[in-house]
Amino acid sequence: MKGSTLAMNKNKFVYTAFLAIAFAATFSACKDKRSTGLEYARNMYDPIAYNPDQPNKNFKDGKTAQLPPAHTKPVGFTEYDEYPNTKEGYEAAGVSMVNPLPVDTVNLAQGQHLFKVFCAPCHGEKGDGQGHLVKIEKFSGVPAYQTGASSRGGNMVDLTAGKIYHTITYGVNNMGSHASQISPTDRWKVVMYVQQLQKGQ
Amino acid sequence: MRDISVILKSVWKSLFVFSAISVIAVSTVNAQDAKEGRTLFKAKCSSCHALDAKLIGPALTGVSDRHDEAWLLKWIPNSAGLIASGDAAAVKVFNENNKVAMTSFPELDETKVKDILQYIKEGEPKAATPPGGAVAAKDESTSGLSIAGIVAIVVLAIVILVILGRASKLLERLILLKQGIEIEEDVPLKVGVRKMFKNKKFVMFFILCLIIALGSWGWMGMWNTGVHTGYQPVQPIKFSHELHAGINQIDCQYCHNGAFKSKNATIPSLNVCMNCHKAVQARDKYDGEISPEIKKIYNALGYDPETQKYDEGKAKPMEWVRVHNLPDFAYFNHSQHVVVAEDAIRKAKGLQPTEPVCFACHGPVNTMEEIYQYSPLTMKWCINCHKETDISGQKNNAFYAKVIEAHEKIKKGEKITPALLGGLECGKCHY
Repeated sequence: MKGSTLAMNKNKFVYTAFLAIAFAATFSACKDKRSTGLEYARNMYDPIAYNPDQPNKNFKDGKTAQLPPAHTKPVGFTEYDEYPNTKEGYEAAGVSMVNPLPVDTVNLAQGQHLFKVFCAPCHGEKGDGQGHLVKIEKFSGVPAYQTGASSRGGNMVDLTAGKIYHTITYGVNNMGSHASQISPTDRWKVVMYVQQLQKGQ
Repeated sequence: MRDISVILKSVWKSLFVFSAISVIAVSTVNAQDAKEGRTLFKAKCSSCHALDAKLIGPALTGVSDRHDEAWLLKWIPNSAGLIASGDAAAVKVFNENNKVAMTSFPELDETKVKDILQYIKEGEPKAATPPGGAVAAKDESTSGLSIAGIVAIVVLAIVILVILGRASKLLERLILLKQGIEIEEDVPLKVGVRKMFKNKKFVMFFILCLIIALGSWGWMGMWNTGVHTGYQPVQPIKFSHELHAGINQIDCQYCHNGAFKSKNATIPSLNVCMNCHKAVQARDKYDGEISPEIKKIYNALGYDPETQKYDEGKAKPMEWVRVHNLPDFAYFNHSQHVVVAEDAIRKAKGLQPTEPVCFACHGPVNTMEEIYQYSPLTMKWCINCHKETDISGQKNNAFYAKVIEAHEKIKKGEKITPALLGGLECGKCHY
């Protein structure tokens, strides 16, 4: 009797020991997805200069990305101060701004690409106000370029290039400003393509 | 008697059926109104109004209690006219809402306005089905290698168990033979183990196992040092690429618009979030409250959804955790890959025309609820792709056209300067 108990104890001991080792090995083989794992010479990964999105103690607000100092502007920056984000600015832009780019296939093709990326999610690829986000009811109240009415008076189909440019730059109602995403030149390409869509082409 | 009860029963039945039908009929008539109103509301009103939240205009729930219907029937089709006529209520509403003029809707006649008011009264119908695809099957990203490793370890453990089981039984028998069965005292376990380790074969086997295990662990550890594949840190906002890029089908470039223009793909600043989330607040999922994750955007910007004003004093930058991090000594340019080399990369990686070229390295981002690093981003990985990708036949590519032009000049013996080869690009030196 005693002998068999001893044998059982020993078997139990051996089995638990090896199960424990097997478990430990299995779990240590699993990588922790929240950590980058073992790293050698981490300082070679980190930039010496500050990345724009890094904290920075040298500035008061602790950010690396700073606005340009007052009364300065970056090289190549297009000013848009003469048309402020008001009803008057909108009307003025509608009267006096003209598309500086020639209407050609290259500009239109680029305009179409930009339109698909930045506008079509709501406005629809044909500008009919039936984009994917409208269809799945995440967004609504998007007017069609061909048939809708503009909230600032008149019909969408009659909007001039300057008014469309003003709207992309500042946004209106639930549409936000897209100035940070689309450069001024690209905005004119989008305007060109939107004007094609207004005609239903 | 029986007949009477049967007749009564049938009368009850028909009464019940009749009343049920009439209830359904009445409710469908109402629903028809509200349904029509909902369509009109979504098309005409919702760019400025929501039912239970202030957007550009005030929240509309309870609007029929605040104003009488006759007034609303005048206000909605032509609010500007009503204000101009000097109507006291109209001027008050206009002033209360920062003097933002409401669009005139001359096309909305009395029935249409009543439909809209009916919809506002009834509110949003309760959704019967949860939005599809939200609970899409999650792709477990356990790599084949780690599965193979686990299986190998388990098999090894079983083999060792079997062998040791036998060895221990043998030892047991030896002990029993030496000591005799009559011995009453227990042999302490320690003694047994000590005896086990006196067995040279066993010790050899044990050491061999140890060397294999530690050796392979060390080898794999060295290979994986500094490789961040699968790295999925916890981000300050639970931003789901699965929702935004997958279900909502928003193009990568909408937010990461730098990828096509510059070295960096750029993490969008919060104003890009606000392009949609000024209006999209997911209130239907949080009992009419703003989603706590969307609230984090508002808090970071110091934005007050009630007044729709920004307070820069309360703004605090969002500290995203960087996932993809090349060592600082390696130069990588996004635009060079996704614009110049788009066709070649698509062909090499076998991407579908509907998939963005970004998937070639970043993997199926539209299925990632939390973003993780899909590719190893090691030097070997870069080199292999640069060795295998076929870039012949890039005739209409401005980049290669320039290269060919330079080659022609060299062939003809014309003057050629580093500037012609892009030597004046700032990024050639300053990156």
